[in-house]
Amino acid sequence: MGVPLYLEPRLTPRLTSLLRSGRFLHALVGGLGSPLNVVLPDQIADNLTHFRDVYRTHRLSGQVFFAHKANRSSALVRRLAATDAGLDAASLGELQHALGAGFTPDRIMATGPKDPEFLWLAARTGVLVHVDGQAELDELAALVRQYGLPPAGVLLRLSGFASEGTRLLTRPSRFGTPAGELGGLLTTLERYPDELRLAGVGYHLDTTSLAEKAVALEGCVRAMDECRGRGLNPRIIDIGGGFGVSYLADGEQWERYTTELTRAVMGRRPALTWRRHGYGLWHEAGTLRGSLALYPAHRPVAAEKYLDALLTQPAPALGTRLATLLLEGLCDLYVEPGRALADQCGLTLARVLEVRRTGAGERVVRLAANATDVALEEHGVLMDPVVVPADGRRAPAAGGPVGVHLAGNLCLEADMITRRTVFLPYPPCPGDLLAFANTAGYCMDFRAGEAQRQPVARKAAVWQDGRDGARERRDGRERQDGQDDGHGEVPWRWCLDEEYWPVAQQAHHPRHHGTPAGGGA
Amino acid sequence: MRLDSITDAIGDTPLVRVDPAVHGLRHIDLYAKLEMLNPFGSVKDRAAWHMVRPGLTAAADGHRTVVELSSGNTAKALSLLAGLYGVPFKTVTNRIRVPEMRDLLLLLGAEVEELPGQTECLDPTSTDDPLTLFHQELTGSADGYVYTDQYYNARNTEAHAAGTGPEIVADLDGRAPDHFVACVGTAGSSSGVARVLREHDPGVHVLGLVAHKADFIPGIRTIDEVQGVGLFDPATYDTIETVTADEAIEGMVTLARRCGMPAGPTGGAAYTGAVRHLRTLDAELTERRTAVFIVCDRIESYLSYVRQRRPDLLGRPAHRNSLATLTEAEAAAATGIGTEDAERWIAQDEPLVVDLRSPFSYAALHIDGSVNIVDELFAELLQGGLPFSKSRPVLLACPVGEQSARYAALLTRMGHPDVRSLAGGIIAWRDAGAPLVRE
Repeated sequence: MGVPLYLEPRLTPRLTSLLRSGRFLHALVGGLGSPLNVVLPDQIADNLTHFRDVYRTHRLSGQVFFAHKANRSSALVRRLAATDAGLDAASLGELQHALGAGFTPDRIMATGPKDPEFLWLAARTGVLVHVDGQAELDELAALVRQYGLPPAGVLLRLSGFASEGTRLLTRPSRFGTPAGELGGLLTTLERYPDELRLAGVGYHLDTTSLAEKAVALEGCVRAMDECRGRGLNPRIIDIGGGFGVSYLADGEQWERYTTELTRAVMGRRPALTWRRHGYGLWHEAGTLRGSLALYPAHRPVAAEKYLDALLTQPAPALGTRLATLLLEGLCDLYVEPGRALADQCGLTLARVLEVRRTGAGERVVRLAANATDVALEEHGVLMDPVVVPADGRRAPAAGGPVGVHLAGNLCLEADMITRRTVFLPYPPCPGDLLAFANTAGYCMDFRAGEAQRQPVARKAAVWQDGRDGARERRDGRERQDGQDDGHGEVPWRWCLDEEYWPVAQQAHHPRHHGTPAGGGA
Repeated sequence: MRLDSITDAIGDTPLVRVDPAVHGLRHIDLYAKLEMLNPFGSVKDRAAWHMVRPGLTAAADGHRTVVELSSGNTAKALSLLAGLYGVPFKTVTNRIRVPEMRDLLLLLGAEVEELPGQTECLDPTSTDDPLTLFHQELTGSADGYVYTDQYYNARNTEAHAAGTGPEIVADLDGRAPDHFVACVGTAGSSSGVARVLREHDPGVHVLGLVAHKADFIPGIRTIDEVQGVGLFDPATYDTIETVTADEAIEGMVTLARRCGMPAGPTGGAAYTGAVRHLRTLDAELTERRTAVFIVCDRIESYLSYVRQRRPDLLGRPAHRNSLATLTEAEAAAATGIGTEDAERWIAQDEPLVVDLRSPFSYAALHIDGSVNIVDELFAELLQGGLPFSKSRPVLLACPVGEQSARYAALLTRMGHPDVRSLAGGIIAWRDAGAPLVRE
């Protein structure tokens, strides 16, 4: 087995404190079943302030929109409604949810593929529409005219920006209109002066590369100039999301792991995966082929730091810093982080049902959850779960680190939570919980289904009284006190996700539950 | 020396002894094989010429393009060689991380395609890996391309087995050195040289250097990346050690400042790696030994690489009239003027309005009658003194009124009697509904 190749999760003090509250978590799963999703609404408000800080540093104005698609949670959306954030709705249901959660239309943007109902509600309520192209402009204008609606504000989603000098290749996107065809869109807009109002332009690129995004951002600045040249007065440049999350605590662990994975694929060490899966790599005549299909799980520059790095880049052709270009061009910057804003905002709990050895001697841990409930693997994120021992059991001193395989609850060979051999500090037992940290961004409920009539995870919102974002900012630091099981720690409170409202934290609403199992004492 | 073609100047590079006072090894003579003295500037000249030579004439006749996956010296050598034959050259790369190289390749006439970055929303089942697509395109139109394939092409190694290796042996009076040190990129030079040296003396020790994983050293691969190199065989090396970018730059500085060898970071890494490895052996030696390392290329292309990592090496004193010399108190004392007052002032006293934004932004929208002197240019002008008369008042404008306030303070210190900064900048001006024009 060799040294344990841990990939320990990066945890904020808030998530660390929650994971130490073992009795609380066991009581939650005891009452609501396994798997269980837990969200931390106060964290998303903190994350928002980090993005705002970057705006402040660069003197930029604009708005930060939470890409709702990252998580269905009501608690996260309602908590954000109580801040000054915006929300990016990508479906009729998300738009209704946002309006119902308290987002006023001036704080909502409608994006993505749209059906007529979605487009109508967006226009009716007056939310900004990020349009994909010509056809959508025509459709929106027709709706506005037919139903006598106020003019709809539109952002034009552009793609395929040209670079100068070297040819910077970008993955083709099925969304947006090629930047070179902006003129045609503007001609359409000019046909509907009473129905449509140009608010700005935008892009959304699926890449981690700053260089590609710099080309697109500069392309948008040029597009704004073209709009102004035609007498229009747009103010907004929308650069979408894709700021990334750093999942792992330790960059060295990530580097050591990927090196060992490479060696395993080359046959130079024992396998590190179920059935010798290579995560995109394979071995051919003594040479490594393929490319690692994994999310770069340790990222020194992610989330708001990534936005900062992008804004600090020079514009590829004009040479000016991108932030300066936006500022000088009198542009408002809109961003739509999903994963990055939901960073550290949730975890998924699963109970251990069985631990056994296969004929080949592999240790398999079967969980009361399946791969769709914990979708980290689907997103290429490799990260260890945290063992939360069953009530009363302490982490054993002996037993040492073990390598295990995590199997799901479906009657299907392929239902492995991860194909990786997971190293845990000690062997788990039936009844223990495995906590998968940081699942709130896309890895919680995006794909979860009811295959085999297995239960879909319920969702609970948790918080600590008097520990909201505002309080922490006043303190200027996060509190890191608190030991095992909540002793000396501000107790955790909870309610079902759909019953969470921001006022819950002040008022003692009868529907909100205290700490189960005797208040963690 | 009279040659018919520049390609005849490839190879036969000197082997130069490094002064023991610099490296401090008492029993080991350390030699640098100066591959940077090849005509196109690097060790890659040999491999590029050897790989592309068989296909070049056919390429010229058949209107083919030479293609390679290279972001550095191989691309540079191939563009020059292709140019000799009037053949186009295209390189496809995973991002050129040395900016000078990008411009240099364009100047040499290469077509450069940079592959997209990793996707943020990973689809593990996706099959559109950019490199796979590249190979599909090559196979799809085999007639159109001469693909040199440096990571798999045996002629890459052969170039060194026939040239670099025998040259070293000849210069050491027919003996192989006891130690050979090379950075591993395509593994071509290290494998080719090692093969020849071992034929002369199976006891030669070969040290391969790879980059530290979190680091980037141009021309060197990390321990994981070398696994994907077809020419890489771990058995070539007795020892594989890692070097960091800091060590590479440190070595580069030593070679340049103490040895008269303006080597790039790869050469610097080889030097540092060699000395670090040999130092422990040296302490126990009683007889003399020789060691050879390769200096791959020259220093000039790596200025921004150094600027990014070790700006202190390029340090310059600040100019007298620069914003950097401004104290907080001076900056805070600058005279600001709000939009409404500024409009009135402009109408009455006609101050010179200077817009400090970039020409592009100025052209889009600006205050009527203003002149545009972009920030950096303005800073340069001020180094020489006041660029306008003291008899005319000046209104400075920037996006939010921050830079303009600092310049107003500086101009005041330089003796201008009436400089004001537009408070809140052009953005406040726009938000107040004051007119902006586009001409």
